[in-house]
Formats: sequence, C-alpha cells, structure tokens
Amino acid sequence: MKKEPITMPVLSDTMESGHLIKWLKQPGDRVKKGDILAEAESDKAIMDVEAFSDGYLTGPLASPGTDIPTGTVIGYISDAPEHAGNETEQQPSIPATTSTSQNSTQPATHPSAAPPHEHARHNTRDIKASPYARGLAHELGVNLATVPPGPQGIIQAPQVVAAAMQGPQPNLDAGPGWRFKMLSSMRRAVADNMSATVNTPTFRISSDLRMDLLRQAAKKRGMSLTLLLAKALALTVTKHPLFNAVYTPNGLALRQQVNVGIAADVPGGLLTPVLHNAAERPVPELAEDWRILKNKLKRQRLAPEDYEGATIYLSNLGMFKVVKSFEAIVPLGAAAILSVGAQKDGAASGTLSCDHRVVYGADAARFLETLTALLNNPGDWS
Amino acid sequence: MSEETPVWKALNLAMDAEMSDDDSVFTLGEDVGLYGGSYRVTQDLYARYGEWRVRDTPISEGSFTGLAVGAAMVGMRPVVEIMTVNFALLALDAIINMAAKIPFMSGGQFPMPLVVRMPGGVAKQLAAQHSQRLEHTLMNVPGLRIAVPATPQDAWWQLRQAIRSDEPIVFLEHELLYFSKGTLDTKLPPPPMHRATVRRPGNDLTIISYSHMAKLSLKAAERLSAEGMDIEVIDLRSLRPIDWDSCAASVEKTHHLLVVEEDCGFAGAGAEIVATLTERCFHFLDAPAQRLAGLDMPTPYNGTLETASIPTTASIADAARQMLLPGEIS
Repeated sequence: MKKEPITMPVLSDTMESGHLIKWLKQPGDRVKKGDILAEAESDKAIMDVEAFSDGYLTGPLASPGTDIPTGTVIGYISDAPEHAGNETEQQPSIPATTSTSQNSTQPATHPSAAPPHEHARHNTRDIKASPYARGLAHELGVNLATVPPGPQGIIQAPQVVAAAMQGPQPNLDAGPGWRFKMLSSMRRAVADNMSATVNTPTFRISSDLRMDLLRQAAKKRGMSLTLLLAKALALTVTKHPLFNAVYTPNGLALRQQVNVGIAADVPGGLLTPVLHNAAERPVPELAEDWRILKNKLKRQRLAPEDYEGATIYLSNLGMFKVVKSFEAIVPLGAAAILSVGAQKDGAASGTLSCDHRVVYGADAARFLETLTALLNNPGDWS
Repeated sequence: MSEETPVWKALNLAMDAEMSDDDSVFTLGEDVGLYGGSYRVTQDLYARYGEWRVRDTPISEGSFTGLAVGAAMVGMRPVVEIMTVNFALLALDAIINMAAKIPFMSGGQFPMPLVVRMPGGVAKQLAAQHSQRLEHTLMNVPGLRIAVPATPQDAWWQLRQAIRSDEPIVFLEHELLYFSKGTLDTKLPPPPMHRATVRRPGNDLTIISYSHMAKLSLKAAERLSAEGMDIEVIDLRSLRPIDWDSCAASVEKTHHLLVVEEDCGFAGAGAEIVATLTERCFHFLDAPAQRLAGLDMPTPYNGTLETASIPTTASIADAARQMLLPGEIS
C-alpha cells in the first residue's frame, strides 16, 4: 500500500505552526483531489487543508486542538483503504502544544483523540529540555515552564534564547497558584507583532475631529462611518506622502499606493483587514470591498492578501461610548495609525501615533489639518 | 615541499629520514625488502640500507613481532610492518602481552621503542577477513599508543615521532588513503603526536572522526556548508591517548556532537568518545550525542552491501542534517 503524507500547510508568510481545528473526514474515507480534509487555523485565519491526490484518508492522524509546526505530517492518503480502527489510537510523534482556545466551539471529531487539556508545568524537571537548554535557561533567568518546545517536543537552546529575547518574565511562583492557557495562533501573532514595535520611537498628536457631517453622509449613503473615515485617511495620505512611507535601515520605503489597514475586533483576537488602493478607487467600490471583508472576518476566512500590506492604519473605537480618546501602537510596516474615540457633541477625539523616524510633529500637525478639512466637507469627496 | 604527495610516499620519506638519522632503526615484515612493501612504504630502502636493516620475514606475524619486541628491549628501534591489520591478530600476544606490558612490569627498566605499522579498513571488496578495523581491540590495551594519520603531513611527522618514542605504538594506516594526495611540508614543525586537529572550523555541530572517515566527514561538511550548516570537523590523529581537551572545547562551542567511525559501532572508538564527552560536556549538549559507525556485522564482499555497511559522505551529511534540522528529513 502506498502512503503519501499530508503535512500542515504553510498558509501565510509568518506562519510557523498551525492549529488543527478538526478533521472533516474519517480514516478510511474515500477522498478526491481537492476535497477538504481538515480545518486549520493559521496566525490570522481558518483555512482548509485539501487533499492533493485521490485515495483514502489514513491514520495515524494528528489530534485536533493541537498546534503543529508547518511541514509536519498530520496524516496520510493511501491508495487502498485500511482498517481505520486501531491506527488512530496511536498518536504520531507530532510535536504539539495543547491548547484549549478552540475547544468550546470546535469539539474534537475523534472519539479516540484525548481532549487536549491545560496543565501547569510547575516542576521543570519533568520538562523535556536538552542539558544545554537547561543551563542557558538558568543563566538567562528563563523559566522553562514558559518556553514552548521546539521540534520533536523538546526544548533546545534556540527556544530558550527566543524566550530570553522576549524580555524579562514575571516570577509566577511568588503569587497565587496558576496554570497556563496556551496562546491561540492569532493571539501569538498579535503578541509577536506588538513586541516587534518596541523599537519604534513614537510620538502622538491629538485633535478634535468633526464627525457629525461625516456621520450624516454615511447614513445618507448607507455606508459605515469607518469606511468613510478610512477613505478620508487615504486621501489625507496622498497629500502627505511621507505618511505612506516606512522606515527601514536602508532608507525610507516610499509606497506607490495607499492601503488602509483597519483594526477589527474579532472573537479571541484582533485583525486588520486592508482596503487596497483606498485613495484612488471610488467610494462605492471600497464599500463593496469592506462588505466582503467584514463577511470574511465574521466567518474567520480572511486570507493573507486580505490582511497584509497596509501602509497606514485606522483604529476606531467610536462605537464604545465610554472611550474619550486612546493612543494606538504604530504597527510594523507603517508610519502612522489614527485612533478615533467616541463622538460627543458632533466631534470625536482623533490621535495620530507616528514613527518619529519617518515623520515629525509639524508633518503630523499638517496631516491633521488636511484630515480636518476633509471631515468638514465630506460632500466634496465621499 | 611537494604539493601533491601521496600518503605512502610521506611514510616512505619518514622511514628513510629516521633510518638515515639513527642506525638503531630497522624495519621487518613480509615483502618489505625486495618487493618494497605491499603499499610501497619501504620502497628503495632495501637498496639503501641493506638486508640487515630492511628484513624480509616468513609469513609468521607472531614470531617476527616477538623478535621486534626483544630487539626494542635491548635498545633497537624496530618498525614492524604487518601486511594488514587482519594478520595482526596472530601477533596480538607479542603486542598486548609483551610490548604493552614489559615497560610496566619491569618497573620501567625496559623501554619499548617499538612501532607496529598496519594497513587496515574497508578497501574495495576484500571481504570480511581482509576488511577489518581493530581499533576497538587495540584501544582497550593499556600501555599501547595508537596513531591514526589521515594526511601526508600527519603520516610524515607522526611516523617519525612514533619511531623516536620509547613507547610501543601501533600505527594504523588506512588502505584507501595510501594513494590519497596532499601537501607535505617537511619544514613545518610537528604538532604534538597525540594532538587532535580541527580540519574545518564551524559553529553548529562537531564531527569527530579519524583516518579515512575524517576525510569523508570533511567532504560532508563542505556539502552542508552550501546548505547553511556550519560544521566543525575534528581529526583525532590519535586514538590512544585521545586529545579530550580539543574535543571538549569544540563540543562546548557547537553544542552538538556526531562521531563518525568506520569500525563497528558496538563497544568501539565512538562509544568511548561519546561516553567521555557526555561525561565532560553534558551541560553543553543541546541534543543527544550521536554515533555514525560501521554496521555490527562482518564486512560483506558484495560491493553494494559493502558500501552500505559503513558511513559514506552522504550518510554523514544526512546524520548531521538530522541532528540540526530534526523533523525536516524523513
């Protein structure tokens, strides 16, 4: 019998592991090329794992509810069916960190797969780590219990060094008892992206933005306020092209098109769907894009091209009446992000967080002047 | 000196130099005289030094090695050539019971300036009785020294140092290395006889090997370098004693150890090296130390099976990849 391995696919550039949500086929099922075998969550979205050839799904299958490094074998497609019974009982030696982030909504389809569970790893003697990794952890003050294992489920030096690079860790033993909840892939991605911005020298500048006219325009046209804000932001960027640049050690990368990334609140995380070429394309077209993006967002089906490549960001918390103003963090890859608070008396606080390596205070002031002018006359451009 | 000297020539030059420097040096063995040695190591010496100092012997390893032990006890510096290590089994009484013990049992009254040279290793389809490696046997004999040169430069100096030494030394030559060429600079000062040498510096993984396998390990390391893996290759040059400090320094730098040996892995040189370095460097190891060795079986005559029974450049590279990129190779 010929067995071809199925591997955890690489679903995005930044993806190092995928969260196997569930199997849609059972061992022994006949599958055709292109059939969806399983669902996996990358750092940003849920994606389908497809069959790449005709045959029969064959175990051992990786357990749902586990994080699995990309490229790791999660099951097989064979050219003949086999007794599905016992094979699935043996779990393959797949390095996996258990996670429960999906348990409540995604019950494991496998009766044989033990439900993943959280456990505290208080006693570091029980953790599989190389002698050198232990020594390093001791010297660098890294608690091995907080280090995710590397390939083959063993902590080695690279993982300890990576943990140490993340900065000092809280001393958990000093406080009350605790247990770990592993990060979901999305949560880990957000954490990594935010940690990546610590070296950005940032300044903030605020203004009251007139919103009543924009709100009227949005209502009249049946569009979302956020969409029109994004459009206004994009138009402002075209007048101040430095805001479309990004700092690199080799120089400023000046981008030729304005893509607005819009921070979106989703269950269990944060995503930034992108409106491409938002300055030049007409508002109705952008509105249609935004509708599609929101739909994908709801179904957790955002693809990398949907959330990557923003050149400027918008974060609108205006729907929370309690928010007066806030300061967002400039994501890596952009020079600025606009944070918009709740409206009061027809105006909302807008705060522009900027990378000072790219733009300066007066640039930001002029930027806000242009934005204010656009918001005062939405009829001209929306 | 010559850029492209074969190992046999370097040994031949070393013999010549020592025989010319010291009248007490003589060589004996099967076909070392008129024929010039099975691998040409004693070529022309018969003509130059005569039949008393270059002695052809009967096919009787036990007796002529015993004769050399006696000669060494009374102040001569004999260099025995045993046609292959496989025949040395007949001479083990002289080597193990006599040469290795006499200095100890005589309280140092008898020195043992004896060199026993022997070609060995897996060559090309010489079958099980002519393809042995006896490191595992000889390493376990206190009192013996074992040199394992892999290059013309090492062959030249180590043989000269061995002849000048007052200790009994087994000189293991690999049959596939005699015609392998390299730089020989007779003006270069010698490193200490038992010092290991770093053939290639690297940061990711240490390969420790010797003799022919050191050469293959170096090739594997060059291949892996193209894949972004930075391998350090250590050539032991001596199996008894072993230069542990050089080995430990390397393992403490790379945190990964792979030992490559042609001899069978079971209870062999690799077992000793891994055990000692695990004792010394345990806290520096980032992965279990590994051995890649000959299979635990007599060497097959069939060429394909023979090749499959010992490490190759490809299998060395695979073993290193497996250690550095676990999971990526099935």
